[in-house]
Amino acid sequence: MKKLAFTLILMALTISLVFAAGAKEQGKGDKVVLTAYMQIDPASDQYAGHNAVMEAFAAKYPNVQLNIEYASGEAFHQKFQSMAASKRVPDLFTCYGGARSAYVIDTGLALDLTPYLDESYKSHFASATWLPQGSAGVLYMIPPSFAVCHSIYANTALLDRLGLSFPETFEELVAQVPVIRAAGLYPVSMGNKDPWVVNSWLLGTFIERFGGPDWILKAAKGQASFTDEPFVKAVEIIQQMSQKGLFSPGVNQMSNTEADQEFYQQKSVYLIDAAWRTSAMDAQLPAEQRNAIDMRVFPRLPGEKFHDNSNATSSEGFGIAKAVEGDKAKLDAALAFVKFYSGEEGAAIRAEYGEVPSYNLDLSKFSLDIMQTKFINFSATYSMGYVFDAIMDGEGVNLLNTDLQAMMMGSGNPKSIAATYEAWVAKNDSNRD
Amino acid sequence: MPQLTKRTSYYTLLLPAFIIYIAVIIFPIFMSFGLSFTEWKRFKMTGFIGLRNYSEILADAVFRRSMWNNIQIMLISVLGQIPLGILLAYLLHRKWVKGDKFFEFMIFLPITISSVVIALLWNRIFSPVGIYTTFVRMITGNPDYVVRIFESEKFAMIPILVVLLWQHTSLYMVIFLANLQRIPNSIFEAALLDGAKESTIIFKIVIPALSNVIFTSSVLAISGSLKSFDLVYAMTAGGPVNYTFVMALYLYLHTFTFHNYGKGSAVSIIIVLLSVGLISLVRGVYAKAQQRYE
Repeated sequence: MKKLAFTLILMALTISLVFAAGAKEQGKGDKVVLTAYMQIDPASDQYAGHNAVMEAFAAKYPNVQLNIEYASGEAFHQKFQSMAASKRVPDLFTCYGGARSAYVIDTGLALDLTPYLDESYKSHFASATWLPQGSAGVLYMIPPSFAVCHSIYANTALLDRLGLSFPETFEELVAQVPVIRAAGLYPVSMGNKDPWVVNSWLLGTFIERFGGPDWILKAAKGQASFTDEPFVKAVEIIQQMSQKGLFSPGVNQMSNTEADQEFYQQKSVYLIDAAWRTSAMDAQLPAEQRNAIDMRVFPRLPGEKFHDNSNATSSEGFGIAKAVEGDKAKLDAALAFVKFYSGEEGAAIRAEYGEVPSYNLDLSKFSLDIMQTKFINFSATYSMGYVFDAIMDGEGVNLLNTDLQAMMMGSGNPKSIAATYEAWVAKNDSNRD
Repeated sequence: MPQLTKRTSYYTLLLPAFIIYIAVIIFPIFMSFGLSFTEWKRFKMTGFIGLRNYSEILADAVFRRSMWNNIQIMLISVLGQIPLGILLAYLLHRKWVKGDKFFEFMIFLPITISSVVIALLWNRIFSPVGIYTTFVRMITGNPDYVVRIFESEKFAMIPILVVLLWQHTSLYMVIFLANLQRIPNSIFEAALLDGAKESTIIFKIVIPALSNVIFTSSVLAISGSLKSFDLVYAMTAGGPVNYTFVMALYLYLHTFTFHNYGKGSAVSIIIVLLSVGLISLVRGVYAKAQQRYE
């Protein structure tokens, strides 16, 4: 009897499992399911535009189901590197155009999108969108926007109060230091606790001022040396900024956020930061204060050959796994997603949330925030050069950043830093292979 | 036959744990050992390079500084946290302070908080815009005041060591307190009746009675010190410059940022060897101490 009951229960369970599985398949219908891994924090205000794009995509493509895993910061890269090492990457993923995503784009795991992007689609974007990516120089993602890495924000209300104006030259900026300090304020806030800051936000811009727009590329390839004048002079300016008391005290202990807060609280007159800080300013500062913020590039340097430049790199977008190429339904769905996100519809939604997209939109039709408008004007006014640490290998850049930080704290000099860095690059950097 | 069955049972019961141990401890160590002789470029192994990773690491001033910083952490753990833990446990056990339960809770609190939260908390206090710095600027009228020890090549580790001492002493205190409660009170009473001083009680009764626990705690402290990462990463990320770098941070940087898996593996092997060597040393000291007390 017991045996019979056991057999019946087992049969019932088996049948229910079979039907359950069938029902699941039937419920899925002809939906295309894509796995995705995104370096995004959907709970953050910064990604409200992203969330809106995702909702719009789901509404337009109900047959595409995205199973998304989110992660932010370094945690994203750590896990993704493990996935890449085991050759098991999701169908869609956050992808950078350079060394940051080399573990997936230089290892054959990401699909080259070039054959899938026709000229009629590409023509709507800013030309810099289509700069070659990765060591193979193809396209692995469509940059939704650009990361402008150098800007100097000036509090014009404070400048007016002190009887000063935005300096035209470095010497004028230095001359303002005693006036600003006498008023109990700090001249320039910059958070260099993480030492990449001085590199990303100042060094590349300064090098191009002395060497011209392509000097960084030439030095990277060995056609110029980092011991040459443009590099040494750029480092000298950073040293002078430290020695002449331009930065707030403890610049090398101060985080980005802390430097921003110092400027927001009107304790400092200038802030050196990336241009994407405008969205945080729009979110956190009253209109009166934002109206008084001027967004410029660093004043002219003594002996500079090239003027009024900032630097920018394409922001991260979404790549498609190479393995998806074999499944037409999945490939079509993945391409629809990346084109939607960076294309007209996605760009329009993101613009409403404060982003300046790479897709050419008539932004006059949008109601833009104060700092966002200033950012658009900034992008249109100044030329954009290369971001130094987006070109050179990370290990050497880390060595350089550490030396720059030591110099800012009084140890080391520009020539020895240049010599050490050139020696490292000549021996190890992949640009010189 | 029963003997055989018993032995089979032992091995069968041991097998799952043994397999897990091999899979998650022994295999990765051997794998790292193999990888430590390889060179990697652009995410690909380019060949075997013998001991070159080891020679480069040992010649690197950043690694040597990292190792010295780890040694400082180990010293503060073994010679700071453990003795202080014993002392605090003894004070509470002898009920020399009123409200012993309150103090027990307060002392234990730091270990229950995430290291990242602790790091942020201390940063909020001592950063250039922190509460302490702002307060000192206000009362001294010096707007340039910052806590310079954070920028000192020689002393930048001290704030981290203080935080580690504050955070981890509590764990040892609880371990020692639990073990002190196993010593019959009559022993303390008899010693006091015989006119023993407190120092005599500590060195002649408490420490011998806790020797096993002290040994175990020392092993935990050494292995924990050599793999220190979370607090240092969240508090200073090894900076400024590389004054507060530790070996785990060096390993992390070379493995996950520079993708040099060979070098990262070599660092991990050095950490394992140091850990095994130091724990063996402690075991030797413990064995000698036991002989002395016996």
